[in-house]
Amino acid sequence: MAKIIIDGQEVECRDNIPVLQAAVDAGWDVPHYCYHPGLSIAASCRLCLMEMKMPHPQTKEMGWAPKLMPSCQTPAREGMEVRFATEKVQQNQKNCMEFFLLNHPLDCPVCDQAGECHLQDYSYKFGDPESRMVDQKLKNPKKDIGPNTLLYSDRCVMCTRCVRFTDEVSGTHELGLVNRGSRLEIDVFPGLPLDNPMQGNVVDICPVGCLLDKDFLFQRRVWELSTASSICPGCATGCAIRVDHADDKVYRLKPRYNPGINDWWMCDEGRYGFKYIEDSKRVTSPIVRRGLDATSPEWADIPEIVQFRFEQHVRENGGEKLAAVLSPFMSCEEGWLLIEFMRETAPECTLVMGPVPMEGDDQSFPVGATGDKVKFTILNEKCPNRRGVEMLLEAAGGNQCSFDEFVEKAGGGSFTAAWIVGGYPKEWVSKELNKATGKIDLLVVQDLLQNSLMTSAAFVFPACSWAEREGSFVNAGGQIQPFDWATNPPEGGRRDGQYLYEIAGYAGLYNGERVRKLMAAKIPAFKEIHEPPVRPVHAH
Amino acid sequence: MAAFEPVLLRNRGVEQSTTLKVYESRGGYQGVRKALKQTPDEVVEEVKNANLRGRGGAGFPAGVKWSFLPKDRTRTLLCVNADESEPPTFCNRILMETDPHQLIEGTIIAGFATQSQTAYIYLRVEFHEQFHIVQKAVEEAYAAGYLGKKIFGSEYSLDIYVHRGAGAYVCGEETGLIESLEGKRGWPRIKPPFPAVEGLFGQPTVVNNVETLSCLPHILERGAEWFTSIGPDHSAGPKLFCVSGPVKNPGCYEGPMTISVRDLIERNDLGGGMRDGKKVKCVLPGGVSMGALSVDELDMKLDFADPRNYGLLGLGTAAAVVIDESVDMRMVLQNLARFYGTESCGQCTQCREGTSWMYKIATRIASGAGRISDLDLLLETARNMGMMPGYSICGLPDGATYPIETIIKKFRPELEASINAQAPGKAEALFTVLN
Amino acid sequence: MSWITVNRNEPAIDPNAPPILSAALCEKIRSLFPRYDTKRAVLLPALHMVQDGLGHIPWQAMKEIADILEIHPSDVIDTISFYTHFWTHPKGMKVITACRSVSCETMGGVAVLLELKKQLGIGEHETTPDGRFSLVTEECLAGCDHAPCLLINEKLHRCVKVEDVGRILADDNNDRISQKRSDLFDAPAGDSKSKDVSGLESTSDVAEMKASE
Ligand SMILES: Cc1cc2nc3c(=O)[nH]c(=O)nc-3n(C[C@H](O)[C@H](O)[C@H](O)COP(=O)(O)O)c2cc1C
Ligand code: SF4
Ligand code: SF4
Ligand code: SF4
Ligand code: FES
Ligand code: FES
Repeated sequence: MAKIIIDGQEVECRDNIPVLQAAVDAGWDVPHYCYHPGLSIAASCRLCLMEMKMPHPQTKEMGWAPKLMPSCQTPAREGMEVRFATEKVQQNQKNCMEFFLLNHPLDCPVCDQAGECHLQDYSYKFGDPESRMVDQKLKNPKKDIGPNTLLYSDRCVMCTRCVRFTDEVSGTHELGLVNRGSRLEIDVFPGLPLDNPMQGNVVDICPVGCLLDKDFLFQRRVWELSTASSICPGCATGCAIRVDHADDKVYRLKPRYNPGINDWWMCDEGRYGFKYIEDSKRVTSPIVRRGLDATSPEWADIPEIVQFRFEQHVRENGGEKLAAVLSPFMSCEEGWLLIEFMRETAPECTLVMGPVPMEGDDQSFPVGATGDKVKFTILNEKCPNRRGVEMLLEAAGGNQCSFDEFVEKAGGGSFTAAWIVGGYPKEWVSKELNKATGKIDLLVVQDLLQNSLMTSAAFVFPACSWAEREGSFVNAGGQIQPFDWATNPPEGGRRDGQYLYEIAGYAGLYNGERVRKLMAAKIPAFKEIHEPPVRPVHAH
Repeated sequence: MAAFEPVLLRNRGVEQSTTLKVYESRGGYQGVRKALKQTPDEVVEEVKNANLRGRGGAGFPAGVKWSFLPKDRTRTLLCVNADESEPPTFCNRILMETDPHQLIEGTIIAGFATQSQTAYIYLRVEFHEQFHIVQKAVEEAYAAGYLGKKIFGSEYSLDIYVHRGAGAYVCGEETGLIESLEGKRGWPRIKPPFPAVEGLFGQPTVVNNVETLSCLPHILERGAEWFTSIGPDHSAGPKLFCVSGPVKNPGCYEGPMTISVRDLIERNDLGGGMRDGKKVKCVLPGGVSMGALSVDELDMKLDFADPRNYGLLGLGTAAAVVIDESVDMRMVLQNLARFYGTESCGQCTQCREGTSWMYKIATRIASGAGRISDLDLLLETARNMGMMPGYSICGLPDGATYPIETIIKKFRPELEASINAQAPGKAEALFTVLN
Repeated sequence: MSWITVNRNEPAIDPNAPPILSAALCEKIRSLFPRYDTKRAVLLPALHMVQDGLGHIPWQAMKEIADILEIHPSDVIDTISFYTHFWTHPKGMKVITACRSVSCETMGGVAVLLELKKQLGIGEHETTPDGRFSLVTEECLAGCDHAPCLLINEKLHRCVKVEDVGRILADDNNDRISQKRSDLFDAPAGDSKSKDVSGLESTSDVAEMKASE
C-alpha cells in the first residue's frame, strides 16, 4: 500500500496503480475516456490530466511541475502529491469537453446512450454550455460493423478502448482505425465484421453512444431501467452481471466488475442468452393431477397437498422408492430446500444430479492465449451451478446415483415417486427419460419450458428463470456467488425458492440470504460467500 | 568574417560525390576508422565533449542521449531520421543527395558508440531519387566491407537498412517513426518509457537526425575541440541553413551558428537578398513550427538560444521561409493551420480537434468571413494544445501553437484590417449559413 | 435521422478469386523478414511493393499481405489509411503531387495547381478519364529551394511556372528519374484502366476537409 496526497488529502492505495485509479477509488470524479483498468494505457484522451509535485530539475526542490501529467499513465508512488482541484486542470477539462463536442452531432434525443453517456455527464459537469464553433461539423457515416453491433462514427471520442479490447482481450483484432487526425474513424475490414464471442463488451466500454447494441437499440430509454445484481447462468464461469429491466421485462445484461472471475467482461452467449425468459412455452401455473383430473390449485394450498401425497406414498411404497433429480440450474438454496424436504420425507430416498449440458470445448481469450495470458474463458459446461448441487449432494450423503443410472433404474421400476427438476433453457428430456418416468406414479416435474414429462406428472411446478429468482450459484472455481431477482415470475407463477421453502416446512417469505445462513449452519462449506467489490461510482 | 570552410557540404559540387570512390578520395571513412580503434564509451565521451546538439529540431545533445541507454542492455537499435517533412526544410535532402557516404559513416560511428547491431534509415517516401542514391551507397559500403560483419576488420558488425515511409509528417517524431517502422500507423508513443529504454521492437533505441549523424565523422576525425571552436558555446559546430521564398538564391548553406536571419536572407554568399525588389514582411526562420518573425526582428541569431528571445519555440531546423509584402497573412495562417490539421495523427483530443478547428477558422478568415474575435479564438485554441504544457503526447501541436500565436501577435493590425475590410454584410450572411 | 449508410458485413473480396499477388512478389516481401524483429514491420515495404506492382492496393491484396505477415486484415487497412501515399482504389499511370506548403504556395504554387487542374480537367484526388494522370496535393516535398515543386511519380519538377505545365504534361519522360534504380523497389506502375471503385478516401484529402465545412 502506498500513501499519496490528492488535493491535500491523504489517500491509501495499492502500489503502482495509476493515480487516476487511486483517485477514482477514493471518490474523486476524474473525467477519463481512454483509461480502462482492463486495457493497456493509451493516455490519449488527455482528459485526466493532473498537477504533480516533482523535484525541480536544477535545485531538486519539490514543487508543482508546470506541466500537466496524465494521471492514468502515472503510477502511484509512496509520498507523491498530486492535485485535480486547480484552475489549470479544470481549464484543461473544459477545453477537452469543448473539443469533444466540436464535431459531435446533436443526437442525444435519439441516442441510446443518453442517460448513461459520459459525454453528457462530463459536459455537464466539466464543460462549458456554450459552443464557440460556428463552422460546420464533420459528418461520418453510421456503420453496420457486425451482426450485433452498430457504430455511429460521428459520436466517437476516439478513446480506442474498443480497438484495444479486440487486440488485447478478445484477441480477434477486427476493429481498427482508419484515416488520421480529425477524420479518424473506427472501422472493420469489410466482410470481416466484428463477430466474436466477446464482442458485446465493446458496447459496454464505449464511453459514449458510438458503439451500440442492436439487440437493445431503441428498446428503452436507460433511465427507465431498474437494475439487479445477478450472476450469469450461461456457463460455469459465473460472470457477475447486471440485469437491466423495466415493467417485469429484461432488456439487457451487462457485466459487473468481478476480479479474477470475469473481471469487466462477459460473453455474448450469456449477454443475449436471456431471451428464453419470454419463451411462449413457459409453464406459468402449477398443475396437480389425480387420475385424469387436473386442477390448478392456489399456491397456498400446494405445500400441504405435496406433503400429504409424498408421505402417503412413502407409507405405502417405502422410502427407497423415492428419488429426486436436481438440476444444475437450481440455486444452492433451492437445491438445499428440496433435499431437506425429500430426506425429511424419506431418509433413504435417492438423490440424483441431473444432466449437465456440455457444448464443444472451453473457449479462452485472447484467442490463442494459454496459461497466464488467458483473460477470459467461456466454459463448455453450460449451466451455472453444477458445483453447488454437487456440494449439496456431498453433504447430504445417503443414497445417490448418476442420472443415467436413475433413468435405467426408473425404467426398471425401482422408483415409484420422483421429483425431477429441469430449468434448462432448451429442450432436455430424452426419449429414455420420458419412457422411464412412465413407471413412476408420483411424478413431480418442476420445469421452465413445457416438456413431455408433464403430461403424466402428478405435479407440474413452473420453474422460474434465474432472473426471477434469488439465491447463489457456485461457479467452476468454487466461488459461491449470490444473485438477486430482477423481474417477477410470469402471471400465475411463483419463485421456486418460495414454494420449495414452504414445501420444506418453513413459513413466511423466502429470502435467499436467510436460507443461505440456515444452509451454512448445517453445511460449513457454504459459509464463505464471494461478492464482487462495489465499483467506485466514478469508474466506467 | 573569415570565409567559412564547408564541412558537411564540402563535397557539394564535386563530380560523382555520391560514390564511395570520390568520398574516400576526399578523406572519407577516416573518422570511423579512428572511432573503431577506441572504445564505444570513448566515442560517446568525444561526442559529448563536442556538444553536438541534435539537428532534428529539439537540439538535444547527441552524446547525452546515447548515455541514457541502459548499461546492461544486450541489443540496441539505431534509427536514422530522414523523414524531413517540416516545411520548408530540405537540408537532409541535400546531405543525402550530395554525400550519402558521409551519412553512412556517421551512422556507423553512432552505431558503434551505442553498440547497435542494426540501423534503419527511415526515409520519407517523397525522397525517390534520394532513396536510390542512399540505397546504392549502402550497397557500395557493404561491398567494400564497410558494413556487415566485422567492419574495417574490427570486431564491430552493423547492418543498415533503408526503410521508406509513406507520407506522414508525424513519422518524423521519434516515437512516431518507431511505430511506423514497426508497420503500424505512426502514432507517437507515450513517454516514459523513452526509446532509449524501450523503443523499436521493445529494444533500447536511439533516433538521430541525418545532419546530426553527418557531423560525427568530422568530430571523430578532427576532434571535439575543433568542433566546439565553430560557433558559440551553446551552439557548437557547423550547421546547415535553408532559405526559401523570394530570395535571389534560395538554397541550403553551411555556416557557424553565428549568422542572423538577416544574414541568411541578404548576404551575397547566402540568400543574396530579395528578388525583383520584393520586401520582406515575415520570416518563419526555423521551419514553420518554430513561429514567425516580423521584419523588425531579422537580427535574430540562428543558434540554439536566441530564438527564445523572439517568442519562438527554438531553432528548429534552421530553415527559413521568407514571406514578402505582397502575401496576405490570412493565407499564410490558413496554409499553416491546414498543415497541422491534416498532419495531426489524431490520438490526442486537443491536437486532433484543435488543429482541425484552427484550420476551419483560418479558412473562414481567409475566405473573407472572419471575425475579429476569431483571432482570439485561434490564439486560445493554439494555447490549449501542445506537449509543453502537457496537453498532448508529442510536439506537433506545439509546432502548431507557435506559428499561429506569433503570426497573430505580430501581424494583428494587418489581420484585423483585412478582416474589417470585408463587407460586413457578406460576413454576416455567411455566418447564418454556417450556423 | 438517416439510417445505416455503410454495411461492413458485406465482403469486399470474392473468396474464390485467385490470388493477385504473384509468387515472386510474395517471395520478395518475405525476403525482407530477416531485416526486422517482427513480420509486421515489413508492412510498409510490402505495401510499397504491391502498389508499385499493381498501381494500387485492392482489398484482396490487403488480405493476402495480412496472410503473409500473419496479421489481421484490419491492421493492414489501419496502417494504409494513415499514410497519404497509398491508394486503395485505382489511380492514374502517373500521379502528380503538387506541393501545397508555404514556400511553394507563396512562390506561385496555387497558380500552377490551378493550371494543372485546368489542363487535366480534374480536381484534387481525381484521375483523368484516360487514366493517364491522377492529381493530388501534399505538404512540403522538401524541395522548397526550387519552389514551386511538383512530383510526377518519382520525378521532382522544380521551379515550375504556369507556362511550363503544358510542356511538362506533354513530356513522355516526365516521370523518369536520372538515378540508377535500386532493385529493392520497382518503378511505380499505374492502373492502366483507372476506374474509381469504392475504396477508402485518402487521409489528408484537403478537398474533402474543405467540402465538409
Ligand atoms: C511533429 C514532429 C516532427 C518531427 N519531424 C522530424 C523530422 O522530420 N526529422 C527529424 O530529424 N526530426 C524530426 N522531429 C524531431 C524528432 O522527434 C527527434 O527529436 C529527432 O529525430 C532526434 O534527432 P536529433 O537528436 O539528432 O535531432 C520531429 C518532431 C516532432 C515533434
Ligand atoms: S453519445 Fe452521448 S452526447 Fe452523443 S448523442 Fe449520444 S448521448 Fe448524446
Ligand atoms: S467507438 Fe467508442 S470505444 Fe471505440 S474509440 Fe470510439 S468512443 Fe471509444
Ligand atoms: S500531439 Fe497530435 S500528432 Fe502528437 S501524438 Fe497527439 S494527436 Fe498525434
Ligand atoms: S489520458 Fe488519461 S484517461 Fe485518457
Ligand atoms: S514548400 Fe513546397 S517543397 Fe517545401
